[in-house]
Amino acid sequence: MHNVRLIARLDIKGPNLIKGVHLEGLRVIGSPQEYATKYYQMGADELIYLDTVASLYGRNNLHEIVKSAASNIFIPLTVGGGIRTIDDITSLLRVGADKIAINTFATKQPSLLQEAAQRFGSQCIVLSIAAKKIHPGKWIALTDNGRENSGMDVLEWAHQGWKLGAGEILLTSVDQEGTASGFDCDLVNAVASTLPIPVIASGGMGTIDHLEAVIKCGKADAVALAHVLHYNKFTISDIKHEMIARGINMRSDGK
Amino acid sequence: MMLFGKTLDQQLPHRPQKVTYCTKCVVSNQRPRIAFDENGVCSACNYASEKYKFIDWNEREQELLALLDRYRSKDGSYDCVVPGSGGKDSGFTAHLLKYKYGMHPLTVTWAPFLYTDIGWKNYLNFKDKGGFDNILCFPNGAIHRKLSRLAFELHGDAWDPFQYGQKNYAYHMALKFNIPLIFYGESGEVEYGGSTKNIHKPFESPEDYKHLYWKGSGMDELVEQGLECGMFTKEEMQNNPLELYRIPKLEDMQRLNPEMHWLSYYVKWIPQENYYYAAEHCGFEANAERSEGTYSKYASLDDKTDGFHFYLAYIKFGIARATSDAAHEVRDGHITREEAIALVKRYDGEFPQKYFKDFLEYLSITEEEFWEVIDFYRELSPHLWRKVDGKWKIRHTIWGGGVDD
Repeated sequence: MHNVRLIARLDIKGPNLIKGVHLEGLRVIGSPQEYATKYYQMGADELIYLDTVASLYGRNNLHEIVKSAASNIFIPLTVGGGIRTIDDITSLLRVGADKIAINTFATKQPSLLQEAAQRFGSQCIVLSIAAKKIHPGKWIALTDNGRENSGMDVLEWAHQGWKLGAGEILLTSVDQEGTASGFDCDLVNAVASTLPIPVIASGGMGTIDHLEAVIKCGKADAVALAHVLHYNKFTISDIKHEMIARGINMRSDGK
Repeated sequence: MMLFGKTLDQQLPHRPQKVTYCTKCVVSNQRPRIAFDENGVCSACNYASEKYKFIDWNEREQELLALLDRYRSKDGSYDCVVPGSGGKDSGFTAHLLKYKYGMHPLTVTWAPFLYTDIGWKNYLNFKDKGGFDNILCFPNGAIHRKLSRLAFELHGDAWDPFQYGQKNYAYHMALKFNIPLIFYGESGEVEYGGSTKNIHKPFESPEDYKHLYWKGSGMDELVEQGLECGMFTKEEMQNNPLELYRIPKLEDMQRLNPEMHWLSYYVKWIPQENYYYAAEHCGFEANAERSEGTYSKYASLDDKTDGFHFYLAYIKFGIARATSDAAHEVRDGHITREEAIALVKRYDGEFPQKYFKDFLEYLSITEEEFWEVIDFYRELSPHLWRKVDGKWKIRHTIWGGGVDD
């Protein structure tokens, strides 16, 4: 079994780290740099930065935040929010991003995934999907930080995204996001078990049991955490220690 | 066809002819009863500064405790009425009173015109997960629809009959169950911009309603017009069918003398924090996607017709739902003014297409009749709207995109 990656997810709005519930009611948590550094030192395997309102406001302003993170954080950085062009990707890679996550614009112009994957390699392109459950076994993809309905079926869209060249899927359950009431394991399993590329499960972590379930039943390759870290419910090292005790492989050579 | 071809909305002549915007948030001077100071700052922003900087909320909580101690029942009988939809704000209010302050609320709900699925689910969660006794009242639907039809044309807002009950129904329940205290969530006038008459008071008087909430007209005027045009029959209006829409009779009120209070006077009112609270304690869920006309998905969710209340505000005042949402988020420090302007630009005035058919059916009007009323109100607002090549265009917006900006 591969190491399961634990990723700290940082949703950014303007200069602030923020957090919502169901991607709504965005509460200011603090400085992104401070939290990112803390999570790096705690042993996070990767960080994800998402400018959550970039598409909503029609802008993109993560450059400064990524640049300063890249200078003292030495784990992979995935960056997303408001990505529309190859130039947007190039400039974020140039300031230190390792991977680029795309949601809203890819739903409108899927060929962007293909162009980006050909140009920069699939390993660098993450398709970010915000999934809203409409009935058991059926989810639709939302865009603009969970505000607009793309009308696209999540399972079909994930499949198409992989075909177009996405190397990884960041899969957020809007229903579970921010609630600390457990992951949508059916959703994660439905995507992860049918695609050959890694799936990052996001949304719903509240307990260690939740994490174990999404890895064992959901088949998640990686898990993104926000609420439990921002609100100091767990530390990454505690989580890893417990997961290893439960027989799940994780990188533990960090601090 | 329009039945009357006139309006009873007494607010319209008071709109300033020159549109200006608050220099701190995004609201304009067209919002009824809002006041601007010499620096161009609106009354709601000025109240927000007080709320965050000057009001001693510990002191206010002491006032609240003293009030609640006076009313709290010893035998478990109801000691306060909490009116509300079961959304985030009434969820917060009822839960705090019951579980933090040990009160015994009877929650009462004046039903929306047409429940949305998410609204109904949240209502059920409110009573089932939040844990409250609740009385849900649907007024006579045939009459309610006619009142709404009349209000749509005569007040430029089909929503008014809901508001009559929302304000007055709680008093009827208070009298019925002998509960002398009524707790509303927030004062909309104080928190979101309007009259400053009650800014330092925990309560208001029902005598204020007509002026503050009912556009200087009211249900009696609607009924009179309805009888005149034959929409209501005399028989239909016999035996007091509209009692619940009205404040109870003076002699009944004097017997119990119920006091109404706003929680927002005693507790710092932050809708976003209420959302967190209600999500945790009352099973409240945000909508699957944003509401039309705005970016938010946690406010004013339960009624399919809500979008038209805001759309008519857009027609009459040139500002709509996104302006209202963004303005109070600026005041609460959640977003900057620039962000707010971007959101207004993107969403304000978007037509509520999703429930258009439901709305027309509910009012029993055609699409043509709908647009006739809309255009009637646009024509009453030449400082806001102008026809360009046969199409109505807004003249001024905060982002400078109006045809006369």
